[in-house]
Amino acid sequence: MPPHALTIDEASLSFGRFQALKSVSFAAEQGQLVTLLGPSGCGKTTLLKAIAGFLALDSGRIEIGGHDMTGIPPERRDTAMCFQSYALFPHLSVSDNIGFGLRQQRIGEAEIRSRVGTVAEQVSLVAQLAKLPGQLSGGQQQRVALARAMAVRPGIMLFDEPLSNLDAKLRDQVRMEIRALQRQHGFTAVYVTHDQSEALAMSDLVVVMRAGEIEQMGRPEDIYRQPKNRFVADFIGTANIMPVRVIGHDAASGLHHIESPLGRLTVRSEIAPVAKTIFACWRPEDAVLVAAGDETGPNRATLRVLSRTFLGSLCDLIVVTEGENPVSFRIQMHGFTPIAEGERITLSLKPEAIRFLGEAAE
Amino acid sequence: MRRHRSAALLVQTRLPVVLALTVFTIVLALPFAMAVLWSLVDPSHPWAYPAVLPPVLSFRRWIEIWTTSALPQALANSYLLAATVSVSTLLLALPTAYAFGRLQFPGKATAQMLTLIPLAMPGFVGAIFFSALLVRFGVYSRFAGIALGHTVIFLPYAIRLLSLSFAMVRQDLIDAARDLGASPLTVFRTATLPVLKPGLLAALIIVFILSIEEFAISYIVGAPDFTTVPTILYSYLGYNFIRPNAAAISLILVVPNVLLMLIAERLLKSADPATITGKG
Amino acid sequence: MSASFSVRPYLLLLPGLLPILAFMSLVIGMALSQSVGYFNFSGDSGFSLRFWHTVLSEQQFWRAFWYSARIALFSSLLSVALAYPVALWLRRPFAGSDLVSALIKAPILVHGLVAAFLYVNFISFQGFLNAALVHLGLVARPIRMQNDPYAIGVVILQVWKNMPFAFLILTGPVRAIGDDILDAARDLGAGAFARLRRVILPLTLRSLQAALILIFIGAAGDYSFQSVAGPTSLNSLAQYMVRIQQDNAGHGWNEAAVIAVMLMGLSLFGSAALAALIQFLLRRTGR
Repeated sequence: MPPHALTIDEASLSFGRFQALKSVSFAAEQGQLVTLLGPSGCGKTTLLKAIAGFLALDSGRIEIGGHDMTGIPPERRDTAMCFQSYALFPHLSVSDNIGFGLRQQRIGEAEIRSRVGTVAEQVSLVAQLAKLPGQLSGGQQQRVALARAMAVRPGIMLFDEPLSNLDAKLRDQVRMEIRALQRQHGFTAVYVTHDQSEALAMSDLVVVMRAGEIEQMGRPEDIYRQPKNRFVADFIGTANIMPVRVIGHDAASGLHHIESPLGRLTVRSEIAPVAKTIFACWRPEDAVLVAAGDETGPNRATLRVLSRTFLGSLCDLIVVTEGENPVSFRIQMHGFTPIAEGERITLSLKPEAIRFLGEAAE
Repeated sequence: MRRHRSAALLVQTRLPVVLALTVFTIVLALPFAMAVLWSLVDPSHPWAYPAVLPPVLSFRRWIEIWTTSALPQALANSYLLAATVSVSTLLLALPTAYAFGRLQFPGKATAQMLTLIPLAMPGFVGAIFFSALLVRFGVYSRFAGIALGHTVIFLPYAIRLLSLSFAMVRQDLIDAARDLGASPLTVFRTATLPVLKPGLLAALIIVFILSIEEFAISYIVGAPDFTTVPTILYSYLGYNFIRPNAAAISLILVVPNVLLMLIAERLLKSADPATITGKG
Repeated sequence: MSASFSVRPYLLLLPGLLPILAFMSLVIGMALSQSVGYFNFSGDSGFSLRFWHTVLSEQQFWRAFWYSARIALFSSLLSVALAYPVALWLRRPFAGSDLVSALIKAPILVHGLVAAFLYVNFISFQGFLNAALVHLGLVARPIRMQNDPYAIGVVILQVWKNMPFAFLILTGPVRAIGDDILDAARDLGAGAFARLRRVILPLTLRSLQAALILIFIGAAGDYSFQSVAGPTSLNSLAQYMVRIQQDNAGHGWNEAAVIAVMLMGLSLFGSAALAALIQFLLRRTGR
């Protein structure tokens, strides 16, 4: 079996008293795009810089293509980074920027020119080759940074929030371009972002980090469907998180019975609850509107609509339970829904839409 | 790993710091210590080879210089000249600095370049032909001649420093003050002056120091009858090298100026608008 | 820019800019005219190239000219060569870096004549250096080092005074180079030397040139260092100019004017050539 393209083994790193990485481990296969996802200060950029070699680990190791990178300086690692600031050389033309890494490898001038040409074509920069970075738009500069990293054909491409300086529309476009290029050329990439939608859209593997530790990792759909804890559930997408009490388990049907702010519910979960009182979550789009009087749907609850926001393709509702201590939930309906604020509606949740989180309540 | 890192850090930072301090001691501290020693050599007990230290130390040399040489006159000349020059330079520089710091107009960059020309003029060329001009125009007052020359050649410094101060005045504060109905005087007092004051004082001090230190014009225009501190120092360094006198005058020339410069630097640092308005 | 053209900014420029321009054009004009025989203080005024002829055929003049050129070249190159690594080293702050940079800048506050005195006092017969050499047993008796014939003393003084100045000019631009830019170069395989040659030097070229030019001009026109610590057998151009003006009663002014024009030419073209050479070398080696 070939070695992993990248292996992080119990990596720890601290700045003075602050522990930026606490024994982080994961591995990336050849051709995979791995995102490191988390809020600022979670250690994702620190880890990226450690992979590139700008920061030395206190303990643990990083292997690239099966080789231990301990003590190897950045200039001798088979990585190339796309910086958040782009970090283009302002005194060099686009063509010289792209060729910078190749010139360090003492490749012949003719070969350099042809490879710069090829990469420039891939990122549609051929017309800009003679310009200086200062003459380009933000999106073009972004592409130069990408081309410069791609030109050296690194074992690992590193992306440090590469889209954060672009406006929203361009961001979607460049995101798709990066993913397409990555698939087409099959390079292995580590991609740092704090934007969960970016992570879900691009990754083969998502590594969710918080406070220097990995909270959860897996395929985007798995992390979305089955978040491990409240942090992940809340950070990835929108989630309605509620404390519940498990009151019984029916072995025949595989259903758990719970007591929740929405009343008594049934839950179909492969993961058994870790405690009697526990947190469970469901996604806003999982709620189904039931006509008043219709008694067929499972897990029905009647709630009052507190607010309603029309967002075009969907309708965002905040609903509250009725009674002593009202609890609010967020639900999303596709298309235009003729519901008024203050109206009472009945919702139904499928048993498999409700997920136990691996955290006891209280 | 940790040990390794701290050892590398030591080599990277500590060693050069020690090296820098050593170099500093040799090229600055030791020579100054020597100067202090020489100025304290007792005139009746000369310091001569092979004595490592002067045999007797006293202030007699200082008293002697003060009472017998032209130093008091030179000091008076230098400081009076510097005061005149700093005020006149600042007055001339203010309007121009205001234009550079707060206005946009075509040709601004060229005008800014033009103000810097005196910096590219060899000092003695300027001094000699300036003195020729003084003769031609019949300006025979040494004081007026030197003051005029100093004012012009230090204008670039004053303009540059004051432009930076003017540029730091925040337009939003001016607008806010006007929006709240303040009179032009109040606007100036509340929004402009606090930011401008440290820069003004710093420019005043720096031109003052430059004038005291200037040698070429003072020497060419002033010599031999109008002395300033540098020209008197030069006279002790030339053909009649009188070491203790030169040592004493060196200290008189350097110490006050260093102190003044430290004040100017403090002022320039405090001129940051963030520290005055409380936000960045 | 507003549509209506305003004269106010230009009126405001007058008090500052006018004296400078008047002074400079009058001084340079005076030098140029006197060099070709106008504005004589004694005798007839009128166009004549004989002062140029006299000065340019004088052996002593050319010795002074090339001597000043040499001192200016060595001083500017050495000052910048010493200041640059220090500016790079102090690029990122560390414990003690403020102190170090304050100490480096200290000589700026010391008057040139004082520096010359300190130096002469240091190396003189009774100076610290001789005392140290004798005590260390390196020499039997103090040696004479003052006014050395190779003008090493003058270059040392120039560098002592100008290295801090070069440091002051270079330190800002060196600090302005972003960490990301240097990290990117490293990440793309550039070692320390490649980063210096291909990223740091090109990005600081302008200030490098500015430092070289200013120090060159200052050193080419030097009078004080040369007359206090320089070789007694040689004159710097400024020294020679002052001497000719004072000694030569008849047409001292005219010949001094020729020397002045030549000195200005040396400052202007010498420093420009130096700056161009540096740029050329950088273009050649780094891309």
